[in-house]
Amino acid sequence: MIVKAQDFLSFLIKCQKESLGGFRQVIVPRKSRNPEDNQQLFEEINDSTEPVLESYRTIDPLRALFYFSRETLLPADKGKKRLIVGAKGCDMAAFQILDKALINEDFVDPVYQAWREQTTIISTDCAEICDSCHCTLVGGKPYTDQNYDLNLSGVGQHYLITIGSQKGEELLKIMKEVVDLSLPQGDEIDKIKKNRDAVVVKLNEQNSRFSRSEDYSALRKSDIEGWIDDSKSCIGCGGCTNICPTCYCIIINDDSTGEEFIKVRSADSCQLHGYARVAGGDTPRPKMYQRFRNRYLCKFDYMKSNFDMIGCTGCGRCIDVCAGEIEFREVVQKNMQLPKVQE
Amino acid sequence: MAQTNPYKTFAAEIYEIIDESPTIRTIRVKPEKPIPFRTGQFIELTIPNIGEGPFTPSSSHHISDKMDVTIMKAGFVTEYVHKAKVGDRIGIRGPYGTCYPIDEWKGKDVLIMGGGVGMAPTRSLFLSLLQDIDNYNSITFLVGARTPNDMIYKQHIQGWRDIDKVNILRSVDRVPEGEEWNEEVCLITKLLSKINIKPEGNPVVVCGPPIMMKFGTMDLLKYGYADKDIYLSMEKKMYCGIGHCRHCVIGQYYACKDGPVFTYDKVKNEENIWE
Ligand code: SF4
Ligand code: SF4
Repeated sequence: MIVKAQDFLSFLIKCQKESLGGFRQVIVPRKSRNPEDNQQLFEEINDSTEPVLESYRTIDPLRALFYFSRETLLPADKGKKRLIVGAKGCDMAAFQILDKALINEDFVDPVYQAWREQTTIISTDCAEICDSCHCTLVGGKPYTDQNYDLNLSGVGQHYLITIGSQKGEELLKIMKEVVDLSLPQGDEIDKIKKNRDAVVVKLNEQNSRFSRSEDYSALRKSDIEGWIDDSKSCIGCGGCTNICPTCYCIIINDDSTGEEFIKVRSADSCQLHGYARVAGGDTPRPKMYQRFRNRYLCKFDYMKSNFDMIGCTGCGRCIDVCAGEIEFREVVQKNMQLPKVQE
Repeated sequence: MAQTNPYKTFAAEIYEIIDESPTIRTIRVKPEKPIPFRTGQFIELTIPNIGEGPFTPSSSHHISDKMDVTIMKAGFVTEYVHKAKVGDRIGIRGPYGTCYPIDEWKGKDVLIMGGGVGMAPTRSLFLSLLQDIDNYNSITFLVGARTPNDMIYKQHIQGWRDIDKVNILRSVDRVPEGEEWNEEVCLITKLLSKINIKPEGNPVVVCGPPIMMKFGTMDLLKYGYADKDIYLSMEKKMYCGIGHCRHCVIGQYYACKDGPVFTYDKVKNEENIWE
C-alpha cells in the first residue's frame, strides 16, 4: 500500500494522543537540537516533533529501547505497548543476535522479552548515509528484509508500505481507518530498487578503502603490538560498547530487602577495568590494550561462534562517539593484515 | 522451556555455621523448597540488602532439602557471609551450569585435586561419589592448603579415610611456627608422585586457585592423563548465571552455561583460561 508522508505523520501523532491500537507510546527519530552534530535521536513523538524517517540511523541504538541501561528483572518490569518507527537495517540486524542471546531455549530475559512482544516496529529504508556507516562492509544492507512488522520505503512524498508480520497487518488495518491508503501505481517497486541500489553504491564507495577479507579468525592471530598501538588513544570510557546495537553486557545488582528478593540489571562495558574481575581481585584483562582487543575479538570471533553471525552490523556509532577518535574500520583492517610475529 | 523467570530466588535459612579456617566458613542452609542440583553446578547466593555471588555447593547432590556452601572471605559479599548468624535468611537461585558426569565414571579410578577453597566443590563431588561408592573402583582425594590452619573440613578427614576404597593425601605449602602438621609439606601437585593410578581412561578433577589449576593440569598431562579426562572447574565472574551478562565468557564459551565444569580439551585453545 501507499501512504502520503504527511498522512502517515498525522497518523503517528493520533496514535500517540488517542492511544489508537492501544499504543501507549510512539517513538520516532528526530534531528539533534545541536545544529553542529548531524545526528538523529529517538524520541516519544509530540506535536512539535519533526520526525526524520528516511535519512540514516539514529545515534542511540535501537537496542537501548529494548534493553534499557537499568531495569528490574525480579520482579520483572512489565513494559508497555508501543510503536517504534524509523528503525534501520543495522539496528534490525542486531535483533538476530539479541534475540538469540536473551530469548533462547535455556533462559529468557523477562524484561527484554516483554519489550519485544509489546513493540511494533516500522522500519524505514535509509535514503542517505553518514561518514561512519558501513553496513555493506559487514554483509548488511541500508534497508531491512527481516524482523520488521511494517517497512516503509520512500518514493517522492509517499511511502510504500510492506507488511512483515501479523502485528504489522493489524497495524495497517488501524491505519486504514484513519488515513487514505492507495494501491501502488506500478513503477514504485522499480523506483525503490533504484533508490536502494544508489545508497548501496554510496556505501561501497565510502568504505572501499577499508575493504578486508571475511576471515576474521585472522584478528585473533594478529600481532599484539598492533593492538597496543591502536589502543594508545583509548581512554577506556566504554562509549563504544554502550552505543553498540549488539552489545548487551550487563551486571546484576541485588536490591533485595529483608522481605523481597529484587534483582536489577545495569549496562556494563568490557572496556572498563573492573569488568571481569572475580572475588579476590584477579581480572583476566588488566591492561587497556587487552580490553580494547577483547572488544574486537568478541564482535568478530566469539559472537560469530555464539550466534553464527559477527557482532558488528556496521552502524558506525562507535566511530562517532569515540573519545579517542579511533577509526574502528581501520583498526579491523589493519590488524587483519598483521600476522603474529612470534609466540 | 524457560517460561519462568530465571532470576526467581528462593529463601533459605542458615541453621549452622562452621568456621573451617580463619578465612573460610561453611554455612549450612535449609531452603524454603528443595533445590535439586548435580554436583559441579553452582548457585547464585543472595545476602539481602548486600548482594549476590556465584558459589558451588559443598554438600552431596543426593541431598536437596539442605545445602552446605563453603565460602572464602574475598570481597564484599563474602565479607557479609562471614558476619552472618544462625537463623539469618539468605536467597538462592539456580542451580546453573554443567556438572561432573559421574554416571560415566562407573568402575573407574577417580582422582580429585582440591586446593584451598577449591576443595569446596570437590567435597560435593566426593560426597556424591561416596553415596554410591560401589560404582567406582577407587576414589583418591588430593587436598592442598597453604598452611595447616588453612586446611578445611579437618573434622571429616578421619571418617573419610576409614572408608574402603578411599585414599586421601593432604599437603600444605608450609608449616608456620606454632602450627602442627604430620602429613605432607609440598605443593599439592607434588602429591601426584605419591599415588599409583593408571591414568588411561580414568577421570581427574581439578579445582583450586588459577595457578594450581594451571600447574596441576600440566603435571597431570605429564602423568599421562588425556586432555578429555581432565575436568576443570573454572572460576569466572558469573553475574547472571544464565549466559546473558557475558562476563564469564572464555572465548566462544560461557563459563556459566558451557561450564563451570569443562574438560581441558574443550578450553585448551582459548585465551586466558587460567586468569
Ligand atoms: S561495533 Fe561499532 S559499527 Fe559495529 S555494530 Fe557496534 S557500534 Fe556499530
Ligand atoms: S569509545 Fe573509544 S575511547 Fe571509549 S572505550 Fe571505546 S575505543 Fe576506547
